[in-house]
Amino acid sequence: MVDDPDAHTGAEGRHFETCAECKARYETVAGDARAITSLLAAPELKVDVGSAFNRVRSAPAARPRFGFGLPVVRPGSRPMVLAFAAVIALAGLVVTAIAQGGIFTPTSVEPVPVSVTDIQALSQLSDYGSLTWTTKPNLQIVTSADEAKSISGLTPPKVANLPNGVSKTVTYAATPKAVAVFTFSKDKTASSAAGTGKNLPALPAGMDGAQLTVTVGPAVAEIFGNMTPPKAGSSALPADLPQLVIVKSNAPVATSTQVSVKQLADYLVTVPGISPELTKAIKVLGAGGTALPIPVPAEYATTSKVKVQIGDGKTVNGVALGDDTGVGAGVIWVNSFVYAVGGTIKLSDALDIANHLT
Amino acid sequence: MRAVATVRPDDESFEALFTAEYARVAGIANRVLADPHEAEDVAQEVFIDFHRLHSSSAQYAPAWLHRAAAHEALNRLRGAKRRQRRELAQAAEDVDRTADPQAILELNEDRRRVRAALARLAPRPAAVLVLRASGLSYAEVAQAIGVGIGQVGTLLRRAEAALRKEVGRGTSI
Repeated sequence: MVDDPDAHTGAEGRHFETCAECKARYETVAGDARAITSLLAAPELKVDVGSAFNRVRSAPAARPRFGFGLPVVRPGSRPMVLAFAAVIALAGLVVTAIAQGGIFTPTSVEPVPVSVTDIQALSQLSDYGSLTWTTKPNLQIVTSADEAKSISGLTPPKVANLPNGVSKTVTYAATPKAVAVFTFSKDKTASSAAGTGKNLPALPAGMDGAQLTVTVGPAVAEIFGNMTPPKAGSSALPADLPQLVIVKSNAPVATSTQVSVKQLADYLVTVPGISPELTKAIKVLGAGGTALPIPVPAEYATTSKVKVQIGDGKTVNGVALGDDTGVGAGVIWVNSFVYAVGGTIKLSDALDIANHLT
Repeated sequence: MRAVATVRPDDESFEALFTAEYARVAGIANRVLADPHEAEDVAQEVFIDFHRLHSSSAQYAPAWLHRAAAHEALNRLRGAKRRQRRELAQAAEDVDRTADPQAILELNEDRRRVRAALARLAPRPAAVLVLRASGLSYAEVAQAIGVGIGQVGTLLRRAEAALRKEVGRGTSI
């Protein structure tokens, strides 16, 4: 501690210069510090950063789950589950759109319990074709609503009243639309099936090379919380936040070529060797109807149905999420756009924000 | 109005973060484990965990990595099987570095006692000690463990006293 200028600041430092008692204590403390440094001596560490980076990059888990990272998740904290659940829900929107085919315009939402493993299994789709972003999500963090609007084209929603304890400091995240394409490959699918020793079921006409194009976003998010580094003496930590996130996104749109989306989904679940998790994900997310299924990781979050007021005395059905610690809550609903409100707040507060969002 | 941060393509920003912080993250783990090989293993695991769920452009990235490295290494220190493996590896490495058997014995015994004592400390004081001993400034330690900078000195002194007391007990692992 004795070599850090932050160890003695301001009045403390001036007092120290003239106080014999403090100097004596300082000697004791400095002796302790030297002893600890000596005790904690460790073998020399020589790192090869390049090799280490290559090892990390080759680890499958190093790839962000959905092709891009989450910029605003509190580390090591259970409430982050809500944010995670919300992202999984958004990923679900994509898949739902794929499963529905054509132009899908949801009018309400429906919670569907799934496991995280089921959702992760969607990455196995690459065993049956190629999955690429033709326009990658380009998430940007900005400080003004105007800038967020210029990026996304969407006006950020306005919150009427923030719950007590939530910081008024707001940061915006915005992304233009992103486009993902899945191209079915007969050869890849046959190769995956070959490992099971079974033949492929007969391919419907036009299946090989069929493409699903899914457009998600644009989207804009308001992030309430102190996103700046803490000042000296402050106990605030940027990693502790955000406390509240509000997302507004265009509903996803999907189109297909050569075959219908339902044909493709129905065929995929018959391919030998497809995992039970991927089958479940496709079936759950492909369930028909006009409601938009919100896949919720059942291990972490509980759900309930709620009514969200959208003005003029009208309401729409929404899904309330709560993490299993009771620390966080969120609400997702559709009113022309898909909206989500969530954070380390009570469900009643999340609903109040949702009911008065303009 | 200006953008506070434009998220670069994640691969690029992750590589920049990795290059900037890897040695320090591995150093923190090495300070705990006294085992360079396992320390690198911890560091790589920590980066993988971070990259899975966070943006590499996040302002809190270094603090998150430092804290995670300390906690993951301390968790491993408390794991019996890994500890045994580490001690064996450590002994072999020390034999390579010195020909004096007495020195090897003393070095190993010192490290074993200190790491055993460190493993018995509560997580926060243990993390404070390790982070500071790894060269983090007061401000960086404060960010990593989530306290105000003014608290770091007090926490450090208490942690140092606690560690000296634990080492003095000299109980075996």
